[in-house]
Amino acid sequence: MAVVRLDKICKRYGNAAGPVAVDNVDVTINDGEFMVLLGPSGCGKSTTLRMIAGLETISSGTLSIDGRVVNDVPAKDRDIAMVFQSYALYPHMSVAENLSFGLKRRRTDPAEIERRVRETAALLGLDGLLARKPHALSGGQRQRVALGRAMVREPMVFLFDEPLSNLDAALRVNTRNELIKQHHRLGSTMIYVTHDQVEAMTMGTRICVMNGGRVVQVGAPLEVYWEPADTFVARFLGSPPMNLFTVRAPAEAGALEAGAIRAPLPRWRPDRLGALAGREVVLGLRAEDLHLDPAAAGPEGGRIRGRVFAVEPLGAETLLAVEVPGGHECTARLPRHIRARVGETVDLHFPASAAYLFDAGSGLAIPADRPDAARAGALP
Amino acid sequence: MTPEARVSQEGRPAGLAAAGPGTAAAPRARAPGHLADPRRTSGLVLAVFIAPALLIYAGLTAYPAFRTIFDSFYTIEGLERVPVGLANYRALLADETFWIAVRNTFVWAFVAPLLDVATGLLLALALYAGVPFGRFLRVAWFAPVLLSYVVVAILWMWLYNYDWGVVNVALRGLGLGALTRSWLGDPSTALAALIVTHAWKWAGFNMVVCLAAIHSLPSEVLEASELDNCGWGAKLRHIIVPMLRPTLLNLYVLAFIGKMKVFDLVWIMTGGGPLWATETVSTYVYKRAFNWNTFDLGYPSAIATVWFGVVCAAVILLNRVFRARERLEY
Amino acid sequence: MSAPSPLPRRFGRGAFGRGALGLVIGAYTLYTLGPFLWLATMSVRTTGEISADHYAWPRPFHWEQFRIAWVDSDFATYFWNSAAVVVTAVAAVTLVGAGAAHALARYRFPGNRVIYAILFSSIIFPPQITLISLYQILVDYGLYNSLIGLTLVYVSLQLPLTIYLLEGFFARIPQDLFDAAKMDGYGDIEIFRRIVLPIGMPAIATTVILNFIQLWNEFLFAVVLITDPDKRTLPIGIRSFMGDHFQDVGMIAAGVMISVVPVILAYVFFSEKLIRGMTAGAVK
Repeated sequence: MAVVRLDKICKRYGNAAGPVAVDNVDVTINDGEFMVLLGPSGCGKSTTLRMIAGLETISSGTLSIDGRVVNDVPAKDRDIAMVFQSYALYPHMSVAENLSFGLKRRRTDPAEIERRVRETAALLGLDGLLARKPHALSGGQRQRVALGRAMVREPMVFLFDEPLSNLDAALRVNTRNELIKQHHRLGSTMIYVTHDQVEAMTMGTRICVMNGGRVVQVGAPLEVYWEPADTFVARFLGSPPMNLFTVRAPAEAGALEAGAIRAPLPRWRPDRLGALAGREVVLGLRAEDLHLDPAAAGPEGGRIRGRVFAVEPLGAETLLAVEVPGGHECTARLPRHIRARVGETVDLHFPASAAYLFDAGSGLAIPADRPDAARAGALP
Repeated sequence: MTPEARVSQEGRPAGLAAAGPGTAAAPRARAPGHLADPRRTSGLVLAVFIAPALLIYAGLTAYPAFRTIFDSFYTIEGLERVPVGLANYRALLADETFWIAVRNTFVWAFVAPLLDVATGLLLALALYAGVPFGRFLRVAWFAPVLLSYVVVAILWMWLYNYDWGVVNVALRGLGLGALTRSWLGDPSTALAALIVTHAWKWAGFNMVVCLAAIHSLPSEVLEASELDNCGWGAKLRHIIVPMLRPTLLNLYVLAFIGKMKVFDLVWIMTGGGPLWATETVSTYVYKRAFNWNTFDLGYPSAIATVWFGVVCAAVILLNRVFRARERLEY
Repeated sequence: MSAPSPLPRRFGRGAFGRGALGLVIGAYTLYTLGPFLWLATMSVRTTGEISADHYAWPRPFHWEQFRIAWVDSDFATYFWNSAAVVVTAVAAVTLVGAGAAHALARYRFPGNRVIYAILFSSIIFPPQITLISLYQILVDYGLYNSLIGLTLVYVSLQLPLTIYLLEGFFARIPQDLFDAAKMDGYGDIEIFRRIVLPIGMPAIATTVILNFIQLWNEFLFAVVLITDPDKRTLPIGIRSFMGDHFQDVGMIAAGVMISVVPVILAYVFFSEKLIRGMTAGAVK
């Protein structure tokens, strides 16, 4: 049980002027929390995890576990366990030896080792495999051994470095559920690095979105999804990504009119919109909020008019790619039965409450003054 | 007839065609669409590429090897060949010098690789641990590998020189004058002196191979061991050395093969002496064929044939023993 | 503090461990380089000076030792013989070996692996199995005691290693490249010349240097197949010089230095390539 606190953590390579991999990361991971570090490759999430593990030095800032500063504590003395992307099983040891190695190195009582290995193996369905060497295991089995090797140690903190990325799609879903189950059972603090938004949304109690070495937003999965802090988060979470339109803010308060786009903005107070008048803003609309049927958008809804340039039937739904005058493209996620032809001009309708606004320069969200009633219910 | 078959018959001595592509190929017309599969080509093209190599191999390796085996059943003095059946082999069994040479070569081949590989591993670990000037040291330690045996032999004959060689000078300087001796002239030390010389030349090679192998170990496994409470020593003992096992065994086999053939160093430094203390099979074959005035090439051919069999069998056996263990995957 | 390397870069505990390690490493370095430096000092001293003190610093530097060795002691002859034989043999074995390696690595045909195994397996042959017969064969064909005969033998000696190293490298060139070349209308020979040779250049360079050094140092076949003093290569030249003048330490040292210089030059310029070539295939 542990609280992991990152206080202005930086990682620079080479000297003090060297390239910055992790820039002023400030996050607290609460006891028993499942924190997901999410971001594109190269965003510094793995480096952050490895600094927590003690596999990379911390250039500046303080890292503490349960109030104890561990910057200079060697990895082996931090009481953490890590599941690696490649699993990193010891190739010359059997499954049982892999599981017990860390405990033996810590001079745990042999009877206790035996008990824990049996228990963990039973829990993960590894009973029949204890005598095997890693090369005789399937990918999924290796993954479970790697997880078991971490669990058997009963550490204060579990670290995961993209542990599912080497599994095929079906196994990934299974293992994801297995991990969620084990987190509930153990109740330990877990920190999980991934670039997969689905893993982040389904597993995390909170998500920490990183970009360019910085933390962009920390929050519960749906909170991050519904209230993205900036355009990066808005596009990174969501598939297809949120549609963004750079337009001039309305001169007349209450709605945004820009050629083919008409968006009423009832969630922002008229005086705040007025302050933006004449400036460039970014209008954001999620693909699933766009409809061909005006009724779905409600009486006060907005509209985008454009020319269809691609129809992508996915089976369960259909994606419609639309070219909007003014150099924009947007994607709508529609029911599977819609009919649209390439070249046809269509109107996409959306509820007025679905609109997001971002500052065109900084990309930061311009928060709405009234919460969206529909979404509020979904938030914790 | 396929073009492959035609070329192979024209291009190689008939008796050796069995190894060629022509005989193995089923008769098939040259498919007009052979370009369709870019991994196939006409026999003519294959012949252009491979025939020179096969010719050289057949003429200068395979044929001489077979001829040596064939010759071992004759007595050959000048142009005169007398078939003697197995007489050469019977003589070999009773030849005490031959058995001394076998014993010396086996001592050398089984023991010396341990010295080479162990030194190489230790040096590699020192470099891996990040001693200063690592790049320079790597190049310096590897250098003796490149010196010819002639040069190494001359150098070490001087180092072992009774009057002014470094070894004896150092011993006298340390007040251990009683230990000085003629290292290469004393039957009890000559073989060991040669083995040390040989290890001097080859340790660098083993070091470089070990270093490459250590660097190719998966870093995540080493990191995992750090989280499993392994310090430097424990990591070495429980993770690095076990994972290097395949490389170390491979190096052992390579060193073993090299030592079964050892000739130059012995021939120049001791000529097999004193009193056959350093005689190896290679030097003995050479002596019997070209050095003694016996003028018989049949008997040394018999020794060479037997030794050829022994080396091949030993290599196959060692590979079997070592490869039978599971290979490590990571 | 642990460094970003997979292993904390510290060895031993504290100053004592570090000192002990440094001492061992220093001693080993002296052990590998010392004899060679000793040889180098002796090569620029006269034998008289050396007899007086074997370990004195050269004073003055007798560079004329090299001229005497080169001209009066016939080392020039040995050197040029070695150069001619080795350069020709290396060129030939590279060309022949590269062709065979390419065909074996690229084309599927019945017997491919059998040919490869046969060519490669001779790497373990003890040299005596061919030595005696090669002697007879070269005598039969009038190539005994001739540099041409020795060159031919050298080609055959290095062929297995050359094919082994190049096959391994050529096999890793992606097939897509060959498919693209075929679609562009290249023929088999052109593909070899325009794709395999340029792309394989690093590997070919490695094999060339490796073959060069091994043949430059070759002793056994040279001593059996060459008798004429005018045709001696450097290793047997030095050996016979030492046999005749074993007291003349200074001159022997100068001769040895002459024979080592090309190897040192190759090593100075290509140390990485050489080390890689020699270790290729040994890492498993």
